[in-house]
Amino acid sequence: MGSATEPVVSVDGVSVRFHRGRRHRSLRDLLIRGEGGVRRDEFWALRDIGFQIQQGETVGVVGRNGQGKSTLLKLIAGVLLPDRGTVDVRAGVAPLIEITGGFVADLTVRDNIGLTAGLHGMSRAAIAERFDEIVDFSEIESFLDTPYKHLSSGMKVRVAFAVVSRLEQPVILVDEVLAVGDKAFKRKCHARIEEMVAEGRTLFLVSHSDGDLRRFCARGLYLREGRLVGDGPMDEVLMAYADEIRESA
Amino acid sequence: MSLREAEAPLTTIAAPPAPRTWRGASVQARPTALWQRRRAIRLLVARDLKVRYASSALGYLWSVLEPLLLAGIYWFIFTQVFTRTVGAEPYIVFLLAGLLPWTWFNGAVIDAARALYSEAKLVRSTNVPREVWVVRVVLSKGVEFLLSLPVLFAFGFAYRAPLDWHLVLLVPGAVLMAALVLGIGLLLAPMVVLVRDLERVVRIALRLGFYATPVIFAVSDVPGRLSTVFALNPLAGVIELTRAGFSAEPVQWSHVGVSAIAAVVLLVVGWAVFARLERAVLKEI
Repeated sequence: MGSATEPVVSVDGVSVRFHRGRRHRSLRDLLIRGEGGVRRDEFWALRDIGFQIQQGETVGVVGRNGQGKSTLLKLIAGVLLPDRGTVDVRAGVAPLIEITGGFVADLTVRDNIGLTAGLHGMSRAAIAERFDEIVDFSEIESFLDTPYKHLSSGMKVRVAFAVVSRLEQPVILVDEVLAVGDKAFKRKCHARIEEMVAEGRTLFLVSHSDGDLRRFCARGLYLREGRLVGDGPMDEVLMAYADEIRESA
Repeated sequence: MSLREAEAPLTTIAAPPAPRTWRGASVQARPTALWQRRRAIRLLVARDLKVRYASSALGYLWSVLEPLLLAGIYWFIFTQVFTRTVGAEPYIVFLLAGLLPWTWFNGAVIDAARALYSEAKLVRSTNVPREVWVVRVVLSKGVEFLLSLPVLFAFGFAYRAPLDWHLVLLVPGAVLMAALVLGIGLLLAPMVVLVRDLERVVRIALRLGFYATPVIFAVSDVPGRLSTVFALNPLAGVIELTRAGFSAEPVQWSHVGVSAIAAVVLLVVGWAVFARLERAVLKEI
């Protein structure tokens, strides 16, 4: 986990390019046009982003839709690689992004908890130890042996949040998951995140809710058209962001 | 509670502490990272086998049924319809010893080619080395192959095949096959994500490949100089090793050598292509 001076996350000169065009090429395209050809429909989702985060910092990412917030989180989660620059993450990451993605429809809830926790690096002993906690938190006891696909979407998110938020990783990424679920569960999620922050973990939150951002995050990162246009105390960043909204309104 | 390094649970649970620097990651770094996450592979293979064997009443039978039926059909055609001049005695054992490894190869290549594509959601949401998804297919199919071996032994005993110490060659045979399939899988999996219809090409190539592989005949049955071409098929050596223990014929070590060289080359090329295409693949799925 490194010393206090070594940042837990450092992002340096990072750019990510996406293609706007068709998702998949066919063999015909490949043979006729050749793979090396430059495609004109590309755009940069992130441009030359750089920042460092120390262990225990709470960081909120703000910006309008499509400005690169989720891309940034995926880079830190390690499920996307930058085209330029480097992303160094010196500790394990618990990614609360696309959390239901790792769950397998045909397996039971019980098997899914074991599988997802294991894939995220939790040991068998730790899974056994935390199993009850996870089940309690997700309020899903009577569905443990039900195939995951038969759960309601709210239940799915509950199980997923319960598992991923139990990972003992020093860095937590949260992307909009708080938007789903009923009020009672949201309150529980908030409490859980506060608990994790209090334990000294590093939090990375993407949200459109000023309230959540102010509540959980001391530092703000502001993305606009893929560039980092603001990096400072959350309140200041939110004010700058509010200006953008007013401009465009 | 604070997150000090001294705390036991954290150090055992946290993911590999090595920094994740993508630029300049060396070639041997990838196998190392894969080895560090071997538990994820074990978990996925166990899940595959569970789905395969626990969720259907005929579980075990399914995995041996196809090669058994094929062996039955080829046996009928080549001993009852035609007069057989190829292969070795007992022919049904000869057939099975070729069909079982072929079944592994065929199934693993098809599944490995679409490994990243079919598990897109998992690939997108979990930070494990992406090779895990290919390795998992190779091993799941490999375990199925191992579980089907008792059938081969049963036929070997029943038909009084000349069993001898060469049976130990099944082990290097399986290792060689795993390396071959892994190389091919690492090569194909990212390409199939980027060029979708490649998957169909793979299926056709496999169907033709069956007849280019000494499964229903032996390399020595191929007339003239063509037999050299068949000996260059990397699967010839693997099947040679599988058959060695069930036959009195001397082992053709040159075929095994070709297989070994092909396996190493495919692994290196496959892994290099995989590493090179990974970034594009992650954006596409």
